[in-house]
Amino acid sequence: MTELQFTDVQRDCLQELVNVAMGQASDKLARYLGTFVHLQVPAIALVEAALLSQHFASRYQQQSATLVSLGFFGDQGLRGETIMLYQLANVGVIAQLLGYSDDAVSEAEMLTDISSVLTTTFLSGLAEQLENSFSYAAPRILSCRDQYFADKLAYTAEQWQLALQVDIRYQLTDYSFNCDMILLIPGEAVLRLRQTLDNILADF
Amino acid sequence: MALTALICDDSLLARNQLKKSLPSVFDADIITASNGVEALSILRAREVGLVFLDLTMPELDGVGVLEAIKADAMDCLVIVVSADIQPEMQKRVMELGALAFVQKPATADKLADVMHKYGLI
Repeated sequence: MTELQFTDVQRDCLQELVNVAMGQASDKLARYLGTFVHLQVPAIALVEAALLSQHFASRYQQQSATLVSLGFFGDQGLRGETIMLYQLANVGVIAQLLGYSDDAVSEAEMLTDISSVLTTTFLSGLAEQLENSFSYAAPRILSCRDQYFADKLAYTAEQWQLALQVDIRYQLTDYSFNCDMILLIPGEAVLRLRQTLDNILADF
Repeated sequence: MALTALICDDSLLARNQLKKSLPSVFDADIITASNGVEALSILRAREVGLVFLDLTMPELDGVGVLEAIKADAMDCLVIVVSADIQPEMQKRVMELGALAFVQKPATADKLADVMHKYGLI
């Protein structure tokens, strides 16, 4: 079992890298949606992957959620999978904003597109700061408007060790748009990440 | 007497990064604040010539700080250093009286450019 703990200083460092990457992703999303995106400080949490599904099952209660996954691969063992979770209350509004039709196929297509914009921009921004570069797998939908999404999340999380949970609350000018992003990474990537954070910290 | 410059950012890394990336010819006493509320209480208590201001912060964000500086007609220059790079946001902070906008991470080159442009070094 890999030791997954981060020190406070490493955590602050990672939080700042996430903020910068998230700023780039928001800018991209704002251009994509054609509206201003109010950016909040994204709260990050590092949790064991095994505990993840429980957390989201209780957070989302009985509501259904859609999960979109995107795999990424970097140098020196830094790799993983991002999962975007969408609660669907306000998806119709966003679909209208973007000109997607109001049906299940279009909704899935839209969430895949948004996930792709958000995660690849976010990850590229993160990779750049970590002096790494990522390549990406095509996004895929793990669960669509599913009440049992937690089981699918648990199944996916099983393959990884550490989860970096990023709570994203995007407030568009006129609509609220909530989603959660989870970065799942394996043990050796945790070690690599910590080493990289230490290198960055040593520079300052 | 040397100028006092305030670095306001909630991240320790960002504060250190900025401090270290300031041009060596920039002769100033550097102080720091970790949120907008802290920054304002410093600005109200002592003379600060230049503020490096982050936007997304807990307690009070950078926009709130700029609004207060404007409302109280405080005599300090503000360089916004932010990850929120949307054109709309840049426009907003410039309208609120910021001198310049620097995209995070604040590198030595970017800081030297902007500070040179406005005659701060």
